[in-house]
Amino acid sequence: MIKLFPNKLYMIGLLLVAALGPSCKKLIDIPANPPTSLTEVQQFSDSATAMTAVAGVYSYTGFGKGFTYNDGYLTFCTGLSSDELSYVGYPSPDLQAFYGYGLTDLNGTVGYLWTDPYTSMYPINSIMTNVAASTALSASFKTQIIGEMKLVRAFFYFNTVNLFGDIPLVISTDYNTTSRLPRTSADSIYAQILSDLSDAQKALPAAYPSSGRVRPNLYTVLSVRAKVQLYRKQWQAAYDAADSVINSGLYSLEPDLNNVFLDGSNEAIWQIPANGSYNATHEASQFISPYPNTTPQYLMTPILQKAFEAGDLRWQNWVKDYVVNINGTNQDLYAPYKYKNYYSSAPTIEDYMVIRLADLYLIRAEAAAQLGKTTVALADLNQIRARAGLVASTATTAGDILTAIMHERQVELFTEWGNRWFDLKRTGTIDTVLSAEKPGWKPNEALYPVPRLQRQYNANLTQNPGY
Amino acid sequence: MRFKARGKFRWPTPELSTKTLRVVKLTTIILFTACMQVSARGYSQRVTLTQNNVSLVTVFQEIQRQTGYHFLFTYEDLDRLGNVDVSLQDVSLDEAVEACLRNKPLTYAIIEKTVVIKPRPAPARMPQQAPEPPPPPTLRGHVVDSLGNPLVGASVTIKGTKLGTRTNFKGEFTINALPRGAVVVISYTGFIQEEIRPNPDDNLFLVMQRSPDILDAPVVQAYGTTSRRYNVSSISTVDAETISKQPVTNVLLALQGQAPGLAVNATSGVPGSRVLLQIRGQNTIQNTTSRLRPYDQPLFIIDGVPFAPQNNNVTQLNSLASASSASGGISQSGGLSAFNGINPADIESISVLRDADATSIYGTQGSNGVILITTKRGKVGKTIFDLNVNTGFNTDARTVKLMNTSQYLQLRKDAFAADGITPNSNPYDPGYAPDLTVFDSTRYTDWQKVIFGKTSNNTDVHASISGGSAQNTFLLSTGYTRSDFNYPGHYSDQRFSLHTANHHGTADNRLSVDYGIDYSYDRNNSSGFGGAQSILNPPNTPDLRDAAGNLIWSYKGIDISSYQFYGYLKKVALANLDNLNTYLHLNYKVLPGLSISANLGYSRNNTSENQQMPASSQSPLYPNVSSAFASAKLQTINIEPQIDYTNAFGKGVFSALVGATYKKNLSYTTDVAGTGYANDNFLGSINGAAFVQAYDGSSIYKYSAGFARLKYVYNGKYIVSLTGRRDGSSNFGPGNQFGNFGSAGAGWIFSEEKAIKSGLSFLSFGKLSGSYGTSGSDGVGPYLFQPFWSPGDSYISAVQGIHPNFPQNLYNPDYSWALKKSLNLAMDLGFFHDRLLLNATYYRDREGNQLVGYPLAIQAGFTSVNENLPATIQNSGWEFSFTSTNIKTRSFTWTSNFNISFNRNKLLAFPNLENSSYSDTYIVGKPTSVVIGYQYKGVNPQTGLFEFYTHGGQATSTPTSGPLSRGGDYVPIGDREVKFMGGFANTFTYKHFSLYAFFQFSDQQAPNWIYNIYTFNPPGSTTTNKPVGALDYWKKPGDHTALQRMSSSYASLASQAEGNFVSSTGAYSNDTYVRLKTLSLSYSLSDEALKKLHIHQFRIFANAQNVLTITNYKAGDPETFGDLTSFPLQRIVAFGLSFNF
Repeated sequence: MIKLFPNKLYMIGLLLVAALGPSCKKLIDIPANPPTSLTEVQQFSDSATAMTAVAGVYSYTGFGKGFTYNDGYLTFCTGLSSDELSYVGYPSPDLQAFYGYGLTDLNGTVGYLWTDPYTSMYPINSIMTNVAASTALSASFKTQIIGEMKLVRAFFYFNTVNLFGDIPLVISTDYNTTSRLPRTSADSIYAQILSDLSDAQKALPAAYPSSGRVRPNLYTVLSVRAKVQLYRKQWQAAYDAADSVINSGLYSLEPDLNNVFLDGSNEAIWQIPANGSYNATHEASQFISPYPNTTPQYLMTPILQKAFEAGDLRWQNWVKDYVVNINGTNQDLYAPYKYKNYYSSAPTIEDYMVIRLADLYLIRAEAAAQLGKTTVALADLNQIRARAGLVASTATTAGDILTAIMHERQVELFTEWGNRWFDLKRTGTIDTVLSAEKPGWKPNEALYPVPRLQRQYNANLTQNPGY
Repeated sequence: MRFKARGKFRWPTPELSTKTLRVVKLTTIILFTACMQVSARGYSQRVTLTQNNVSLVTVFQEIQRQTGYHFLFTYEDLDRLGNVDVSLQDVSLDEAVEACLRNKPLTYAIIEKTVVIKPRPAPARMPQQAPEPPPPPTLRGHVVDSLGNPLVGASVTIKGTKLGTRTNFKGEFTINALPRGAVVVISYTGFIQEEIRPNPDDNLFLVMQRSPDILDAPVVQAYGTTSRRYNVSSISTVDAETISKQPVTNVLLALQGQAPGLAVNATSGVPGSRVLLQIRGQNTIQNTTSRLRPYDQPLFIIDGVPFAPQNNNVTQLNSLASASSASGGISQSGGLSAFNGINPADIESISVLRDADATSIYGTQGSNGVILITTKRGKVGKTIFDLNVNTGFNTDARTVKLMNTSQYLQLRKDAFAADGITPNSNPYDPGYAPDLTVFDSTRYTDWQKVIFGKTSNNTDVHASISGGSAQNTFLLSTGYTRSDFNYPGHYSDQRFSLHTANHHGTADNRLSVDYGIDYSYDRNNSSGFGGAQSILNPPNTPDLRDAAGNLIWSYKGIDISSYQFYGYLKKVALANLDNLNTYLHLNYKVLPGLSISANLGYSRNNTSENQQMPASSQSPLYPNVSSAFASAKLQTINIEPQIDYTNAFGKGVFSALVGATYKKNLSYTTDVAGTGYANDNFLGSINGAAFVQAYDGSSIYKYSAGFARLKYVYNGKYIVSLTGRRDGSSNFGPGNQFGNFGSAGAGWIFSEEKAIKSGLSFLSFGKLSGSYGTSGSDGVGPYLFQPFWSPGDSYISAVQGIHPNFPQNLYNPDYSWALKKSLNLAMDLGFFHDRLLLNATYYRDREGNQLVGYPLAIQAGFTSVNENLPATIQNSGWEFSFTSTNIKTRSFTWTSNFNISFNRNKLLAFPNLENSSYSDTYIVGKPTSVVIGYQYKGVNPQTGLFEFYTHGGQATSTPTSGPLSRGGDYVPIGDREVKFMGGFANTFTYKHFSLYAFFQFSDQQAPNWIYNIYTFNPPGSTTTNKPVGALDYWKKPGDHTALQRMSSSYASLASQAEGNFVSSTGAYSNDTYVRLKTLSLSYSLSDEALKKLHIHQFRIFANAQNVLTITNYKAGDPETFGDLTSFPLQRIVAFGLSFNF
C-alpha cells in the first residue's frame, strides 16, 4: 500500500485548516463605515447629523443635487422654448433644439430636466421616512423637518409637472416600488402637491427656522400655494394665500432694483445661498460676459426687448447691453442681468431667488382680476410698475387688466424659474403667441419629451404626443 | 570573475555506502551547467584557445562556448588548483581537456554532450587483492536536472530488455543484478534521453539536460510553473524576446495579436495612455449606454502579487490622455495606465490564463481570465552587463483627409441654401454664419497637420547587471524612457525604472529566499484636455495668435474662443506616477518532496497630478484661473502561505499544492482645487488660490481564501488535475461573503501510446485535454450592501455653516458573486520532432447569476442598484495556433507562428428580459453587444433625406423609436463582436541577421465614417470641418449620395434624420484590418568580431510598430473607430543597439 502523505504533512494541513477555518470571517472584516460616509442609522442618530441631510436638500450644488438641481437649465431651456432667449454660444445642438423646436427624446438637456428633480427628490423622501421612524429625534424637530421637506417636494413636483405634464409620483424610497411607476396624471400630481402644502402649512411656523430666508416658514408655503392655485385657476385660494403673504408684514418690495437679488433682500420669500465654487449663480455665469464688447452666450430675443416700455427701470438695471463690433458694424446685443455677480465671492452678496414678493403681488393681482376685484388687481399691478419707474396702468376692464398683468409678468419675471413659459402654457395663449413670434412652433413641444433612456429603463413610462 | 563555492561536493565513489549517500546532499552540488544556455550558434568540435593565468573555470567556459559541450565539476576541485596557462591550436575536445588536466589530480569522462570532471581515484583505494568473481552488481543512481532538483519518476530501463524502474521522490533509483555490459537508458519527458554504460557497482550521478523542445519550456501558471506538455489548461505565454522587438512603452500593447483569445485595445496614441485587455469576450452585463460596449478586464498579477492599480485609469484629472474612450466604442475611460510604469525590458514572460483549470484557483477574482507577469531574474554564471539604447520616431499612424477651405465653405453655403436662408453676420438671425460672412474665405489651415503633423522622438536606455552562483543570484536593471507627444509643444512621458531580483539558497538547499523590488517613476506632462478636437476647426479659422504669440479670442467682433487650439497648449496637465512592486518568496524543504512556502507581496501605486488653467490660456470671456491637485494611493498587501508536495507513486508523479490567501486593497484619493488666482505664476501651489475646495475618498477591500491543487501525471501519458478554492470577499454583505469554486482537468498524451508511436512516426506529440470548472466575480465596490450617506461630490459648499450630506446608494443587501462555468477542450499536436506544433481549443464559458449595477429609471433616486440577475452570458469559440520551424539550415532559419480566435458571444438566457431595464438593450440569443436601431434604406433621391424602414416595411425619414413591442421601428441591426482576430509572426534568421515581421488582424462590425461625421457636431449646421468623404451629400433631386442634404438648422427634418441615422444600419460597416504591427530587423556581430572587442554580444536593430495597415475602414484608424478627434495611434520607428559583456 502506498502511503500518500507523510505524517508531518497531515499535521501541517490540520494546522492550516485550524488556522483558516474560524478566522476566515475575521480576515475579511472591514470597518462599519468608510471615513467618507455614514450609515443610514448613523445619519439619523441625532438632530445635528440629521441636519446635514437637510442641508443637502437646500445646498446650491447643481450636478443634479440639492435645491438648484438643474444647473439653471430650467431657466435657460424654458427661456429658449418661449420667446425670451436665443443661444449663440459654443455650438450645442441640444440647446438649439429648444429654441428651434427640434426636441427629441434623445436630447441630453431634456434628460437633465427630467432626471435632476428626481435625483433631488430621493433625499427628501428618505429624510421624511428616516426622521419619522427615528426614536432619537424630538417630536418638534420631526414636525419641522417633515414640514420643510413636504414644501420642497411640492415645489419640485410643481416645476416638473409643468415641464412634462404627467410624471411618476414618487413619495417613498424603496426602489422595488418606485423604479417602475408609470406616469401619474398631472391632476393627481397637483393633488399631492396641495396635500404636501397643506401638511407643510400646518407644520411650519411664521418665523424662519434659521437665519435668512433659506429654510422655509409658513409664508414660503403660502407663496408656493398661491402660485400653485393660480395655475389651477383656483382664484380665491390663490388670492387668499398671496394676500396672507403680502399682509404678513415680513416682506416689502426693494425700492432699488439692484438690491432685489442680493442676500438680505427684503423682497425675498425664499432664497438659497448661492456660494458655488466658480460662479455665484448659474444664471450669472451663463448670461454675463464679464468683458465688454463681446458676445454673450444667451441673447434676449427682440420680442422680449420690445416688451419693455420706454423708461422701464428694469431695462436699465436688469438688462445688459453688449456693444459688439461685428465685421465693422457695431451691434447691440442684450442679455439678462438680474444676477450681476459673475465671480463667486465671500461673503455671498447674491443669493439664488426662488420666490419673491413681486410675484406674489402679480399673483394676487391676477387672482383678484379673475375674481372681479379690479381695484385690488390694478393696485397690485401698479405697485410693480411704480417700482419699475412706470406710470400706472391704463387698463380698466378685467380682460385688459389681465393682459396688462401678463405683460408685467413677462418683463418683471423674465428668465426666472420658467415663469414666462409656464404663464404662456397655463393661460392657453402659447400657440397664438409663439406661432406669431417664432418660426417652426410645434404645439406638442409645450410638453417636453420623456427621455428615451428613462422609458427604456421603465417600460411603463409613456411618451408625450409628437415625440 | 571568480566564483566562491561554499558547498561541499564529493564525487560519489563505489566505496561510499548508501547511508553516506543519503548524507550527501545533492542540493549542495554546484552545477555550473545551469548557466550554460543553449545557443542557436553552430558549434565546432575543434578548440582554439590561448589564455594565461586564468582559472580552469574560465577555460572550461570558453571550451564550452566553442564546442557546445557542457562541463560538470565542482568549484572546490577547481579552485584548489589555482590558475593555469593554456595554449591550444585547433585541437579536438579530448585533447583540449586532457591538456587542461595534465598533471592535475583530476580526470574526466565525456557522457553524451557533458564533460564530467572528477578527482582521480586515489591509488590507496585501488584493490589490493586479486579479483574474485563479483556478485551481480547493483546499480544505484541519482537523477537531477541542471538546477540540482531531483527528477521524480524518471524512467530507468536496461536497453533491449523490459527491466527497469523509476526514480523516487529524491530522484534516486536502484537496479539490482545489472547484467554486465548493459546499457542503461534514462529518460524523463522534457529532457534529453541519456544512455550510459555504467561500471559495475557504479553509483551514478546524472544531470539531465532539458530538451530544447518548446513543449518543455516552462510556462508560468497560477502558483508555479508547468510545461506545454503536461499542462491541461489554456495558457499562452508571450516571452521577453517577442516583447523586446516592439518599441512600445506600455507592455500591454506588446500583447496585441500575440495570444489567442486576448483582445487588446489602445485607448489613444498618447504616450502612457491606457491599453484595455479582454480575454475570451465579455462575460458580464453592465450598465452602459447603447453606444458603448461594456468591457471586462482580466486580473493582473505581477510576480505573484496582484497589481494594486490593476489596469484602471489612475488619473483623476483630465489631460490629453483622458480625451476620449474612442477605442472600439468601449465604455472604459481613457487616461493613464499604471502599466506604463513597468519597463517592458524587465519582463521575462507574460502568461495569459484563459480557462477554468487555469483561473479557478483565483476564485472570485479570476472569472475574466488572469494575466501573470513575471519579471526577469538573475542567472547563475558570470556577471553580465547588458546595455540597450534606442531612439525612435513617432508619427500619426493613419491620418484622415479633411476638407480644404473651398470644400468646407461650399458645404456650409449649400446647407444654408437648402433651408432657403441667406448667411449673414447677425447673431439674432438664423442665417448667422461668421465663417461664411466674416472669416477670410481665402485662408487655409490644415489643422490636422498643425496638431498631429509632427514627428516626435522616443529615447530608451536600459542597462542591467546580473549573475551569481547557484546559491545566490542577482539582477539589477534600470531604464529610462522618454516618449515625446506627437503634438505641438514640449510634452512627453518619461519613465525611470529600477528592477531588482535576488535569490539566495542555503548551503543545504533547504531554504530559499527570492525577493525583488521594482520601482518606477513616470512623469506624464501633457496639455489641456480637449485640444485634439481642434483638428475639426474650420479650415478658414482666423489667426488664433498674434505676431507676438499672444492668443486672439475674437475676430472682427466674433468670439472665436471655441477654435482656440493654442489655449489648450498653455494649460498644464502633469501626472507623476510612482509604482512600487515587491515580492518575497520563502521556501523551506521540510522533507524531500515536501516544502512549505510563503508568497508575500506589496504593491503600491501613487499618483499625483496637477492641472493648471492659467488666465493666459483662457478666453477673457469665461476665465476660470484655477489649479487642481489630485493624488491617489493604491495599495495591495498579499500574503499566501503554501504547502507543496511532490512524489512518485506507482508509475506516475503526484503533486499537491495547498495554500491560503489574504489580500487587502486600500485606496485613498484626494483632490484639492483652487480658484481665483491673481497671477498665473502661482498655479503650481494651492497657496495663491482665493478659494480652495478639497475632497477625498477611500476604499477598502479584504479577501481571504484557502485553495488546493492536486495533479497526477501517470506514466507520462495521463494527467489529472483538480483545483478548489473557498473564498471570502468583503464586498458582500453578511451571509453572502463566502463561496466555493473548483475545476477538474484531464489530459491524455496519446502520442506516448505504443500504437501511435510506431504507427504514426511523424506525429511526435499528441495530447487531448479538457477541463471544466467555476470561477466568480465580486466586481462591485465595498460597502454597497448597505445604504450610506456621504458629504457627496467635490465642490459642495456648506449651507448656513452645515456641510451637507447626500444619500450615496440604494439599499439592497442581498447580492453576491456571479458564477462562471467554463468548459475547455484542447488538442495539441506536434509533427516532425515538434518542428510543427498545432493547438486547437474549443471553449464554452457561461456566466450566470450576473452581478450588475442594474440600471433604474431615475425616479428611483439613483441610476442603478447592485443586484444579481438570472441572466446567463455565453462566450464560446475556437482558438487555433501553430508554431513551426519552416526552414532550418546552417545559416538560415525561418520560423512562423500564427494564431486565430473566433469568439461568439451570446445572451443565453434572461428570464423576463422584456420587462427589465435591458428590454431595449439585449436580445436573448444575440451577442451582448447587439445594436438595436433602424434598418437604413438610403438617401431618398427626391427629398434628399435619410430613409429608414418602419416595421411595416415602408420607407420613412421619421421612424418611431423603441422596440416593436412598444410600437417602435427598432430591429436588431448587428453587433460589435470581434468576429475573428489573431496574429501571424515570421522570424527569418540569416547568419547574423534576423528579421521579425508580425501581422495582427481583426474583423468586426463597427461604427463607420458617416457615423463619425454625424456624432460630433453634424456638418452644415455647425462650424466643424469634416473628412472629404462628407462632400458626397445630396444636392438636387435625382442625386444618389452617401450623405443626405445639408441643413443649417436644428429644427429641420434633416436634423431629425441625422439623429435616426446614427442609430441605423447605415452607421455601421464592416471593419477588417491587417496591420503590420511589428517589423524588427537586427544584426549581431560575428563571434570573431566579438572576441576582438572582448564583449559577449553586440546587436544593432531597427524596430517599428504600426508600420502598415490594410483595411476597408474609411476615415480614421480601424482600431479606434467611432471617433475622429481622439489622439491618433502612432507609428513608431526605433533604431538602437544592445550589447553585453
